[in-house]
This record gives sequence, structure tokens and C-alpha cells, in this order.
Amino acid sequence: MDEPERPSGAEPEPAGASEILAPTPEDLAPVAEEAPPAPAPAPKPKRPGVLAERPEEVELVPRGRLAAQSRREFLLFGLGTVATASALWWLLPDRAKARLLPGPWRDRLDTLAMRVGLSRERREATLNRALTFDDDVAEALYSRDRAVRTYTRAEVTPLRNNYNGQTPTPEYLASWKLRLLGLASGRVEEIALTDLVRRHRLREQVTRLVCVEGWSAIAWWGGLRFADLLRRFPPAPGARWAALRSSVNLDGAGRPDPYYVSIDLDTARHPQTLLATHFGGRPLGVDHGAPLRLLVPMKLGLKNIKAITEIEYTSYEPPDYWNERGYSRYDGL
Amino acid sequence: MKPNPDERVPVVPKHHALVRFSHWANVPLLAALVASGLAIYWAAPVFLHPRDPVTGSADYVKDASLWIAGALGDPGSDPANWIYDHLSLGTRQLAVALRWHWVFAYLFMVNGTLYALGLAAGGGWRALLPRPSDVGDALAMIRFYLGVIPMAILRRPWPHPPVRGKYNALQRSAYFSMPILGTLVVLSGWAMHKPVQLGWLERLFGSYDNARVIHFLCMIGLAGFVVPHVVLVIADGWDTFRSMVVGWSKRVREDRHGRA
Repeated sequence: MDEPERPSGAEPEPAGASEILAPTPEDLAPVAEEAPPAPAPAPKPKRPGVLAERPEEVELVPRGRLAAQSRREFLLFGLGTVATASALWWLLPDRAKARLLPGPWRDRLDTLAMRVGLSRERREATLNRALTFDDDVAEALYSRDRAVRTYTRAEVTPLRNNYNGQTPTPEYLASWKLRLLGLASGRVEEIALTDLVRRHRLREQVTRLVCVEGWSAIAWWGGLRFADLLRRFPPAPGARWAALRSSVNLDGAGRPDPYYVSIDLDTARHPQTLLATHFGGRPLGVDHGAPLRLLVPMKLGLKNIKAITEIEYTSYEPPDYWNERGYSRYDGL
Repeated sequence: MKPNPDERVPVVPKHHALVRFSHWANVPLLAALVASGLAIYWAAPVFLHPRDPVTGSADYVKDASLWIAGALGDPGSDPANWIYDHLSLGTRQLAVALRWHWVFAYLFMVNGTLYALGLAAGGGWRALLPRPSDVGDALAMIRFYLGVIPMAILRRPWPHPPVRGKYNALQRSAYFSMPILGTLVVLSGWAMHKPVQLGWLERLFGSYDNARVIHFLCMIGLAGFVVPHVVLVIADGWDTFRSMVVGWSKRVREDRHGRA
């Protein structure tokens, strides 16, 4: 269907012309009354390109060729449908599969899929590849010079406590210290909150916290710049990441469930990345991560770790709690 | 008797191969994007109302779910999550749904770009542009569609309104707005996905939450188009369906009005 069956003197790629068809009685009246005068024949007729829309003019095509074309297109269409349906089925989460097709047929289909290499492991790898591609896009978009939009205090909205699991009880606060590892000095530093608050200038910002779930809240934060801490305690040479950990997090049943996130140092050095000590003008409450939490408004909420107890600078990318549970590792907004 | 393969058959060229490809690719792409998008929506619904003391629901999707489950009398599933269980990847599938959404969103953008390039290079966009006469013509088309079945029952002639060009006015307005909705859905998606690095885009939609609302309204618009589209293709018959697969139509003289 690519080779035009029209006479070689085919008219140039038409503007309005494509719409004027061989007149049939019912069309004649409206065409005559509204159509602009047929465009004057172009000086040199050029061949229509491969992409050119062909005018809807009657062509006489040998029946055999039409049938062959038809067969080819329907074969492609059928193959495409089967391939797409198989791919979608393969990518479906197990629970959705169980709901869509209960019983032995699902097992048979899954066995067949395994035989042709569409395994569960490959499915996860493929979906993770989409995630890393999207992370690469996010990293490419990131600029340290780009400021996060700030709001006025009047625009603050309620921020829910989205602690994963139970909110820790405040006993840990009495003995809290921030441990710093992976420093250029080779030492392990233990810093008290009073030291952090007195030695560093506290900044305020009203920014939006965006959750991976889709909700967001504008909140008024105060704290020191992560960049200031990095300047005071420089990381060991070659460090590119910070692992931020909280040993006090609990799971839903109240058992210890340490939380940990990875932050690239480029983001950590952004002037709007805070180690927050204040929320809404008051010291952080336990529900928002007392006494020190990370505030990275250019990352999803899940990177904004609460109740930090330890920061380690690493040259390799440290593990990330939610990345291990199927979410992005970079989470750049 | 076998028909002579050399006999010449009159046909009319219809859709370009690129248009046909991107058209059919949109079917699984949109289905996957809606299925994963609804599963993401589940985690933080956008359209909320004060909690209903009877049903305990504050979410319109849950209201609709309860209504559908009630109408179907489906006892097997959780009635408040009927829509999420049947039209999405399911509840509590956020991590999977996000990864699905990125896979198919990138493919959707590639497909949309292909379509746009094809339209621009081939000049097909001209057939989609609105015309001053469209309002009157669209009303004539609606009148025609409303009358088709009653007139068929009454056995009264009910001629199709004249169509100038490739599409009738209703088709043109639908096919003109679909690429616009597709562009809007992609842009509002990026505004939600990267509200910091693409802050200008977030501001273009007003706010982060506005971008979410527009994203879901576009989805409703795109999904809403599918219903009349499929109904009209079925009503119009095999030739219309085939022309989107093979690229030509045999409707030469008696009725050239494709009306999908």
C-alpha cells in the first residue's frame, strides 16, 4: 500500500484538495457552496512522501494485491494483539491475576509463560528497569541551583503523621545523639542537639512535602542546612552518598524496624535541604521526627527521614528502605 | 468460482500506517495507564467529600464502587473497593502501580510523538482542524444518531447528513480534542511527577493539587471518548473497523461516510 497506484502526474500534496472527492450527487451542493476554488495546479508536481496522507480518491487495485495486503496487515494486527496481551498478563501483579482468572487455567498460563521466558523474576527486573530509567530522567533534570517553590505561612496546610508503623515513644529523646560516620577525620562524631542548634544558624522555610501516595502538605520548617554540617564535618574523600538512619522506628506491631534512606550528596548540599529541628515554629514533636529529621523538599516525603540517629557518608550507594520494597531509589521531584 | 486476482477493485485510501499503528497502540497503553493510575489514586483519592456516616466512605470512587457492587449483587469482593478490584491493579499495589505507570507513560509519550510527527509530516492534521460550520454540522450529526434507531424501526428513510472531507463535524471535534487531552494528561502528569524541577509546569496548572485534578479529569475525558467511539464503530460496521487495520475502505460510491 506504499506505492501509489495513481497516475504518475499525481497532484502535489494537497491542502484543501484532499477533501474534494469525486462529486456524488449528495455532496455536490455543499461542496459547490462552501469549498474554496480548487487550488491552482502547482508549478512542479512533487511525489507525495511516505508519510503523506493520501487523498481519499477512488483507486483501482488488483484484487490479488488487495487480498495480500489485507492478509499482511491483519497478521501484523493479530501478532501485535497476542504479544501485547501476553506482555500485559505477564506484568500483572499476582493478586490481580488471581482475581482475573482463578483456578487451573491461571497456572497453565503461568507455566506456559515461564517456558517462553516470561518469569516472575524477569517481570520484576523489567519493572525495576522502568524505575531506574525514570530515576535517571529525574537525576538529569535535577539542578542544584534550582530553588524549591516556597510559600507564605498563611498557606500552610495540615500535615499528617505518616510514620510507617507505630510512632516511637519519646523515651529515646533523653539519650539522643547524632552519630556521624565516614568522615574525613576518620573519627566517629557524636553530637548533641544543643550543639547542633547553638553552633549552626537555623533557617526557616515553608515548602511543600509531597508523598509518594499522591497527597501533599505545605509546612513551616526550621533547622540547619545539611550543607553546613557537611562543611563542619567533611566526609571522607570519594564520598558521594549519605546514608541516614533511624534506629528508633517501629513497625505496625511496635517492634523495632530501623528506617534508612540514601541521599546523594549533591542533593544534601542544596541550600533548601535542612536537618530540621522545628515544625510550625516549635521544636519538632515526636510525631514529626523529634529531635532531628531530614527535610529534602526536592525529594518525595519518604526520603524525609524522621528521628535521625546516624549519618554515614559512603562512596557506594547505601541501601534505602523503600527502594528495597519496590519504590524508586532516587525519588527526585 | 475463484475471483480473478487481476480484476481491479475500487478502493479508497484511508488511514496512514503510522496513524493505524498509534491508534491501536493506544488501546493497551491507555488501558494499562488507567489500571495503574486508579491503583495509584487508591493511595490518596483526589475527589473527596465529608465522610458519609452510613457507608463510612469519603471518596467518590468508593461511592461508585458500592453502587456498582450493589447493582451487580457481587458478593465475592469487597463492595467498597469494587472499582479498584476490577478496573485497576488492585488495592495496596502502589509500588507495582507506580512502576507500571512509568513503563506505559513513557511508551504513551513515544506513541503520541509518533502520531504527532506523522500528522505533521503527512498533513493529516488539516482534516482535524475545527471549521466555522462545525457547530451546526455537529448538531445535525447528533440529530442523525438519535434518529437512526427509531427511523429504522419506522422504516422511514433517514439520510446521513452530508460530510465534507474525511470526517464529519462530530468526529472532527472528537479527534481534534483527543490529542489535546493526551497532551494535557502528559503535561499534568509531569507537573505532578516533577513539581520542583519542572516548577514552571506546576505553576502553569496553578498548583500541585490542580495538576492532579486536571490529570484525572483528562483520564475521564479520554476514557469517556472510548464508549461512543466503540459503539459507533460497531454501528458503522466491518469496513470501518477494517480500514483502521488495513488502511483502505471499500466504501466507494454508496456510502463513503466513515463514522467511527
